[in-house]
Amino acid sequence: MNLDGKAAEMRAGTSEYLLAPGKWKRFKIRHRDALLAAVILVPMIFFWLVVSGFPTLFGFLLGFFRWIGLADSPKFTGLDNFVRFFKEPMYTHALWRSIWLGGLVTAITLLSGFGAALLMNMPLRGKGVYRSIWYIPAITSTVATTQIFNLFLDTNNGVINNILKSLGKEPIVWQYSVGWGIFWIVVYSVWKGVGNAALLWLAGLQSVDHSLYEAAAVDGAGSYGKLRHVTIPGLKPIATYIVITSLIAAIQIYEQVLFITNGGPYGKTEVLVFRIYRDGFWDFNLGMAGASSLIMAIIVIVITVLYYGWSTSSDRKTTIPIKKGG
Amino acid sequence: MASNAIRSARPKPKPKLKPAHLFGHAVLLLVGLVLLYPLIFMIMAGFFTKQEFLGSVIKLFPIPKEPTLENFRALVQGTTDAAVTTYLRNSLFRTVYSTAWAILTSFLGGYVFARLRFKGKDQLFLLLLATQMIPTTIAIIPTYLEFARFPFMGGNDVFTGGKGILDTWWVYLIGGPAINVMGTFLVKQSLEKVPFELDEAAKMDGAGTFRVLFQILFPLQLPIMAFIAITTALGTWNDFITPFFYTNSDALQTLPSAITRLSSALASPGAVVNYPLIITLSLGITIPAMIIFFFFQKYIVQGLANTGIKG
Repeated sequence: MNLDGKAAEMRAGTSEYLLAPGKWKRFKIRHRDALLAAVILVPMIFFWLVVSGFPTLFGFLLGFFRWIGLADSPKFTGLDNFVRFFKEPMYTHALWRSIWLGGLVTAITLLSGFGAALLMNMPLRGKGVYRSIWYIPAITSTVATTQIFNLFLDTNNGVINNILKSLGKEPIVWQYSVGWGIFWIVVYSVWKGVGNAALLWLAGLQSVDHSLYEAAAVDGAGSYGKLRHVTIPGLKPIATYIVITSLIAAIQIYEQVLFITNGGPYGKTEVLVFRIYRDGFWDFNLGMAGASSLIMAIIVIVITVLYYGWSTSSDRKTTIPIKKGG
Repeated sequence: MASNAIRSARPKPKPKLKPAHLFGHAVLLLVGLVLLYPLIFMIMAGFFTKQEFLGSVIKLFPIPKEPTLENFRALVQGTTDAAVTTYLRNSLFRTVYSTAWAILTSFLGGYVFARLRFKGKDQLFLLLLATQMIPTTIAIIPTYLEFARFPFMGGNDVFTGGKGILDTWWVYLIGGPAINVMGTFLVKQSLEKVPFELDEAAKMDGAGTFRVLFQILFPLQLPIMAFIAITTALGTWNDFITPFFYTNSDALQTLPSAITRLSSALASPGAVVNYPLIITLSLGITIPAMIIFFFFQKYIVQGLANTGIKG
C-alpha cells in the first residue's frame, strides 16, 4: 500500500524535476488512481443512473402525482394517492395478502428446506445428486413452469381433473376458487424455493463449529440434544439472515400470481406487486402504481434496516463462535 | 484447530447404513422426484406429436404412442406456428450480451473499489450498496415512462411525440454497461484477499495497469467471476419482465416472453391454449438452463455459501 504511494511520489518528484512546466503530467501522476477510477466508473455509473438510479428516484416521486394515461401530464396531488390506498379495501387487502402470503410461503419453504438440509448434512452417499435435484426448480423459468402447472390445472383437459374424472368425481374449476388459487400459488412458490433454502441452510449447518458437537457428545447429548443446544443456537445469526432475505423476496411475489390465477377470481388473489402491475399496465393509473410501489419499498427498507440494526448489535452477544464461510 | 487435529488423528468412521441414513435417502430421493416431476412431465410431453397431445387425455405420466422429435427440431429449425427461432436467437443474444457486460463491469468495479485510492471511495461504495435494498419493483413503471419519453429517440421531440426507445433493441442494450453492484461487491471482497504486493511485483517487472488487471488479477477471480456469470446468464435467460413490459413487436420477443403471450391466465376466457407450442418453448428455456447448471453447479453452491453466509 505505502510502497505504491511512495513510488508515485518519487515518480512525481523526478518528473517535476525533469519536466518543470508539465503541470498536466504532474497532475496525472499525482492523481493517477482517481483518474483511472473516474475513467472506469463514470460511464458505468452513468448507465446505472439511466436504467436504475433515475427510475428508482422517479419511483419515489410518482406516487405524489395524479397521472392517468401516458399522454396525460402529471398533476401534483400531495398525499391523495396514499389516502386512497388506505381507504380502498382493494389496496389494503392486496397489501395484507402480500404480507401473510409472503409469510406463509417463507415459513413453509424455510421449514421444509431446513428439514432437507438436516438430511443432506448426514454422511449420505450421493448427497451431491440430491442437492442438485432439489435445486433445479430454482433455475427454471417462472413463465415456463407456471404453464406446466396450468396444464395440470386446466379445467377441461388438465391432468388433475382427468384423474378426478377417471375416479368418477366431479372436476374442480380451480379458477373459480380463491382457496385453490392461493393454494397453488403457495405450492408453486415452495416448489421453486425449497432447494435454494436447503442449500442456504446447509451452508449454515456446515459453518457451525464441529468441536461443539463433540463437546455436546461428551456431555451426553443425543441427536435431539445436539440439534436443540448446538445447531439451533449456532445457526441463529445465519437463520435471521435467511429468514429476512426470504421474507423480503416472498412479499414481492407476483409472477406466479400473474400466470396462475391472474389475480382472480374477482381480484381475490391479488397481491400488492401484482396490483402495481395492473394499475401501471392495464389501467395506466401511474400515480396509484407509484404510491403502491413506494409503500412496498418502504416496508422492504424498514425490514432491512431493522435487520441490519439487529444483526450489528447482536453480533457482540453471540456466544457460539461461527466460522466465517468462504 | 486443536479439535481438528484430534479429529483427523482418529480413524474416520465409515458411513454405515443406519436407519436415520435410510430415512434420509428415502425422503431426499422421493421428495426430490416430486420436485423434478413437473420437469419430467414437460420433457415427456415434448415427445408427443401435436395431434396426439391435443387429442389424448393428458395423464400423470404421459407416454407417447409415436414419439417424435418434432418439438425439439422446431426449436432449431422453426415452426409455422411462431417465430421460435427468432425467440431463441433473441434469448441467446440477450444472455451473452448481459453476461459479457456483467463480467466486465463487476471486475472493473471490484478493482476500482478494492485497489484504487481516491476521495469519497467508501461513501460512493456505501451509497451504491444501499440502493440494493430498494426493491426493483419501484422502478418498473418509471422505467417504462423513461423509455417512452427517452429524449430524441423514436420520434420524440424532446420528451414527447413518439414512443421513445420502447419496443426497440435499445431496451435490451442500454442496461449492459451499467455497473453491476452485487458483482462489484463480490469481486471487491475477493480482491481484497489478494496481496497488494502481487500488483507491485508485476509492475516492477514492467507490466502496465491493463496487464496487471487482466493477466494477473482476473485469473485469480475466476471462481467468483463464474458465479457472477452463471447467475447473470440464468437470470437474463429466464427474464420475461424486460420484453414483457417494454417491448411489443414479435421480432423482439424472447423465449420466456413468447410464452407469456400464450399463457392461459392471460388469454381471453374460453380461448384454446396452444399447449404444444408452450411445451416446445418451455423445453427451449429449461434444457439449456439445466445444462448450464449441471456444468457449473459447483460455482453456484460455492457462491451461494459465500454471498449468503457471511458469518
